[in-house]
Amino acid sequence: MGAVKIFTKEQCPKCPAAKDVGDRLKMTGVKVIDYDLGTIEGLAEAAFYGVMATPTIIVEDGEDNELAAWRGIVPTPQEIEEMLRANGLFTS
Amino acid sequence: MEKTEEGKVLRRDNETTDMALFVRTSDEQFSGWDRQRIVDALIKETEVDVVTAQEISREVEELIASSTISMVTSPLIRELVDAKLIERGLEQERKRHTRLGMPLYDVDQLILHPNKENANVPHGPEATNLTLAERIKKEYALLSVFSEEVADAHMRGDIHLHDLGFIDRPYCSGQSLEYIKRFGLSLPNSIAMAKPAKHAEVLLAHMVKFAAALQSHFAGAIGWDAVNLFFAPHLVGMRDEEIKQLAQMMIFEFSQQAVARGGQAIFTDLNLYWEIPRHFEDVPAIGPMGEYTGKTYSQYEHEAQRFAWFLFEVFKEGDGSGRPFFFPKPLVHITEKFFRTRGHLEFLHHICDVASEKGNTYFVFDRGETAKVSECCRLSFKLDASDLEDAKQPWKMRYCALQNVTLNLPRIGYLSGGDDRSLFERVEEFMDMAVRAHLEKKTFIEKLLSYGENGPLALLAMERDGSSYLRMHRASYLIGMVGLNELVQIHTGKQMRESKGAFKFGLKVIAHMKLLADQLSERHGMHFVLEQTPAESTAYRFAKLDLQYHWQKAHHVVKGDISQGEVYYTNSTYLNNGAVMNPIERVRQEGLFHPLVEAGALTHIWLGEAKPSKESLANFVMKTFNHTQNDQIAFSPEFTTCNRCHRTSRGLAEICSYCGSRDVDGITRITGYFTRISSWNKGKIGELHDRYRNQGFLRVEGRDERYEGEMVPLISA
Ligand SMILES: [Zn+2]
Repeated sequence: MGAVKIFTKEQCPKCPAAKDVGDRLKMTGVKVIDYDLGTIEGLAEAAFYGVMATPTIIVEDGEDNELAAWRGIVPTPQEIEEMLRANGLFTS
Repeated sequence: MEKTEEGKVLRRDNETTDMALFVRTSDEQFSGWDRQRIVDALIKETEVDVVTAQEISREVEELIASSTISMVTSPLIRELVDAKLIERGLEQERKRHTRLGMPLYDVDQLILHPNKENANVPHGPEATNLTLAERIKKEYALLSVFSEEVADAHMRGDIHLHDLGFIDRPYCSGQSLEYIKRFGLSLPNSIAMAKPAKHAEVLLAHMVKFAAALQSHFAGAIGWDAVNLFFAPHLVGMRDEEIKQLAQMMIFEFSQQAVARGGQAIFTDLNLYWEIPRHFEDVPAIGPMGEYTGKTYSQYEHEAQRFAWFLFEVFKEGDGSGRPFFFPKPLVHITEKFFRTRGHLEFLHHICDVASEKGNTYFVFDRGETAKVSECCRLSFKLDASDLEDAKQPWKMRYCALQNVTLNLPRIGYLSGGDDRSLFERVEEFMDMAVRAHLEKKTFIEKLLSYGENGPLALLAMERDGSSYLRMHRASYLIGMVGLNELVQIHTGKQMRESKGAFKFGLKVIAHMKLLADQLSERHGMHFVLEQTPAESTAYRFAKLDLQYHWQKAHHVVKGDISQGEVYYTNSTYLNNGAVMNPIERVRQEGLFHPLVEAGALTHIWLGEAKPSKESLANFVMKTFNHTQNDQIAFSPEFTTCNRCHRTSRGLAEICSYCGSRDVDGITRITGYFTRISSWNKGKIGELHDRYRNQGFLRVEGRDERYEGEMVPLISA
């Protein structure tokens, strides 16, 4: 089971849009994990994926391996779903 | 009149006692016994009341009178007085009355044997002077500059206050040549003032003089920004041979500054660019006589590149014995623009050739559009908006770090007993202590600077461009760390290299430190930044102290050889030195910490005796730039230099491969610079044994034809 990891921080103009995308994916049963770069957990995870810009959305395979990433940009939920499907991670 | 057993004559006239006793004073005189001197000193130095002072002086007098000694020294009298202050519970007064200095035995040892705390200090009379002064200033700092809590935290080894022996100076600095190009060499307290240089050789002479003056005002490294570029206007019209000779002079001057402080070479960083850095493109160039040339720096690319090229030719040749130059250190900035600049591939091969051959080159990666200046062991600064404004007048680009305080991370592990919450709380406690130390040092330096151009830091207070040379408002305060790997090992049972969970926990600790540094910066209006401490001796000191205080837990995690006393903690956020892993993977993984460690970070690639081809190193450098977050890398070969035939060979050997002599010495990087291994402390020797030299990934010339010149396998990150 993979997951979609969404990295955001306070006062970042595009971050609310990224969070919205995450919320919509959650409704379709996708595992979405939010990380706030202002927290220890969030900053450490961001460093692990080399996240240098917010928002960043990363699709991982369940073993923390990065399958796809959108750095500093917000994809549509469809783009992410396609990516999940292509990797056999989209169950619904 | 009465006579004591040993024949001293005491005459009691009313209150005063006249002893036929001589005192050897500190100003090389004998003086007769005078009790009043004790009273005067006590009142002046400790502010005790007259009655107490009188009482103490009498008690001390009686003690001496009833003893068998006929000659006392003033230090002894002082100690006796201190004992009386202790008897009365006057602890603060005793501290104020303390004498700083060293036991005879220690001075004897010091004069006879080399100092191993800093491998950059040679042994000799000047070096001994330096060490003696450092010892007293260190005591002074711990007693008088820092609060008892901070001093105790240092003594215990929770934190390490670096360069206490240089307490009256800032830590390290970044300089711009433009300052001396524009203002000439005009130093406070100096007899002659030199006008801005007309010729390149004179500019070099000014640079060397100024560097020496700066060395006596900073504890550590002196970094110079864009050296090849700022020299360029002076190089117009010079022939290749002339530029090469200038390059030679520069490197020899900075490598042989053995006349400077304590016989120590100036820790010099030369920042070099192949391209014209974007922030200098449109800046009006300063040329001979300090006058504007009417051109901008973008028009000096050709001269700047020629100079950079020849500097590396000199590095490649090495010194007279073919050894690598230990100083100056060349730092080449690799940027997006670098790869768009004509001739970059040839230059990259050239500097990789030097890296493989002699190891000198540091590759500094400035990704994206951030501009950076590197200046200390690993300290670099990202230039923000106000810096870029300064860049239009580059002489303003003077930076400093006021102090470096390092946290003993494994200690936090021992104290928190496996509990996450407790661990994170203690990180915060240690960070608070470091910040307190910074505040105290800042107050002290500000006091020294307040005396202005007539004060102890006249050079730093001079105002040639309308603001003081040392720009306090731009100072950084470094917070370093040692032994993240061991902290993680204690806490999770695994080293960072051994499990992803452990690695991620390491990231959390540093993320926590980074967030705290940001919060504390905001709270105090100061710039606290994390730094990878070079920890040449701190990694050893912490390990020794922890073996003393936390033996049960520490002896499982301390690295090195405990039986030989060659113990150490893994430096900063590094992975275990001995871990067998693909070098590019080490660069990638260690690089994940680098964005959090803002004041500079570095990954070492130990080459051992291998000499990879310049093409494969260039390939490695490009992969590092494109596929990792790593801030800076350096390749470190090892050498054996013969003290008999003075020839140098590759690899560490017991015997000279040329003449068979056993009188040889190894040379390689200790932390951020090359030195002779015989000068290393035991902790670093322990680390040297453990270093993984990438044997599986590097071909040793002539041994394996299949992998000629390749670093294999270079898996992209
Ligand atoms: Zn020899």
